[in-house]
Amino acid sequence: MLLALKDVWVHYRKVAAVRGISISVEEGEIVTLIGANGAGKSTTLRTISGLKRPSSGAIEFAGERIDTVAPDQITKFGIAHVPEGRHVFPYMSVVENLEIGAYLRTDKAAIDKGYEEVFEHFPRLRERRKQQAGTLSGGEQQMLAMGRALMSDPKLILMDEPSLGLSPIMCREIAKIIRDLHQLGRTIVLVEQNARLALALAQKGYVLETGSIVLDGPAQELRQNDEIKHTYLGIASTGEADGKSDNA
Amino acid sequence: MDLDTFVQTLLNSIQTSSVYALVAVGLAMAFGVMKMANFAHGEFYMIGAYVLYQVYQLWGLNFWIGVVVAIPVVALLGVATERVIFRNTGANILAGFMATVGLGFVLQVAALQIWGHGLMKRIDTPYMGAAEIGDAHVGWQRLIIIPCAIAMLIALRWFLYNVKLGKALRACAQDPETASLQGIKVRNMTMLAMAIAGASAGLAGALMAPVAAITPYMGHHIVIIAFIVIVVGGTASVGGAVVAAIILGFIHTFVTTLVDSTTAAMVGVGIMALTLVVRPQGLLGRETP
Repeated sequence: MLLALKDVWVHYRKVAAVRGISISVEEGEIVTLIGANGAGKSTTLRTISGLKRPSSGAIEFAGERIDTVAPDQITKFGIAHVPEGRHVFPYMSVVENLEIGAYLRTDKAAIDKGYEEVFEHFPRLRERRKQQAGTLSGGEQQMLAMGRALMSDPKLILMDEPSLGLSPIMCREIAKIIRDLHQLGRTIVLVEQNARLALALAQKGYVLETGSIVLDGPAQELRQNDEIKHTYLGIASTGEADGKSDNA
Repeated sequence: MDLDTFVQTLLNSIQTSSVYALVAVGLAMAFGVMKMANFAHGEFYMIGAYVLYQVYQLWGLNFWIGVVVAIPVVALLGVATERVIFRNTGANILAGFMATVGLGFVLQVAALQIWGHGLMKRIDTPYMGAAEIGDAHVGWQRLIIIPCAIAMLIALRWFLYNVKLGKALRACAQDPETASLQGIKVRNMTMLAMAIAGASAGLAGALMAPVAAITPYMGHHIVIIAFIVIVVGGTASVGGAVVAAIILGFIHTFVTTLVDSTTAAMVGVGIMALTLVVRPQGLLGRETP
């Protein structure tokens, strides 16, 4: 098991945002956390990467406890976080953003290989390498944020709402890239409000409601679940819309 | 205004702009990374001048040794300020304001205790004589400030745009949380920003020491100008600070020559007020450098 959350609680002051969740992620898997706004999905990711401290519970990564590790140490473990809202460095060029993604790496040859890999996944970034990141379109910024994460050559990528605010075409493109990354063996934890997209990509899913996991299982099963169909996929639970969730 | 006066005023303007730029750049830099204003920044400048006084006048060492010593001494003062004050105030703007204003007073009293009361300190001018351009005379001591300031600003720009650490500093100013996720230690970056702020203020103070009146209160005037400069330029913009320093340096010098220094100060504040009305983010303003 690559990542395991064991009965993790997270509080914002006295309010519990995450209430004792347990999640396990195997190497090479895409695992998705779906749920409505405020269900605790982002908080969970922020806790894994050290931006939030769990108030109780344990987080293990490759067998090591990481729940007290500072966010600036987390890339050393091989975890990269693509934050919600992309958060590219707006007044730096595309190349500089990628360079910062490889901040802790020192092997020049490996970093150059990293650029190549990123530009292969995102040819558009190569075209715009000198452009200021803040002037890119939303989709391009999402690509840059993902590329920046890849620059640390992570074992695990945490993606927070990659489809947020993107056009349907761009969503499809991002989905394709996530699939490509998966095929190349990257492990991904995907947080999405777009459950249709997330369940089409993932092998395993967890459904969060107000900080607790209410349902989990193989993505395939979740897609067939009437409750999920009704609440998250917007499909009337008669079953006639089967398979539609596949083409996200 | 005849041509000679014009040339003389022009050279004085460039020199004044250079000092404004050195002092304001540090203030903008620290503000960019910490989103906190250092109100003791003028006292950094003052300490720079006193360090030169100590090394050059009292110990009798070479002028340039004094300049070179002032830079790290005041840079360390910047680092100490970050460790002792800003690290504890966090994002509490009011606490940062109170603490750094207090630090300013402490440094003034410290200067009084170390270097004594009384009139301003006299420093022998290391570079006597004046450059003569037509009938205009500008002292060499003032002129050497210009290349020093330009060299410092070019070095700073080079550092920020070509060195990995400089880029990390910019990343941190633009988005500290995301920067930390890339492995950048935000605290080290705020310390670095304060070191750079101290270094440039210390350099400015040391260079100005032979031509300015050295008193514990000499930083007061310059820090107000530096704040006006960064408001006009865009509070967190290093480039904006340089541009605004040049504009205000010229305006202050020309108005002082043509009218008087009180009017010049009023015009400076007027420009700031106008900027705030017309372009509140400043000339090159954005949220970050």
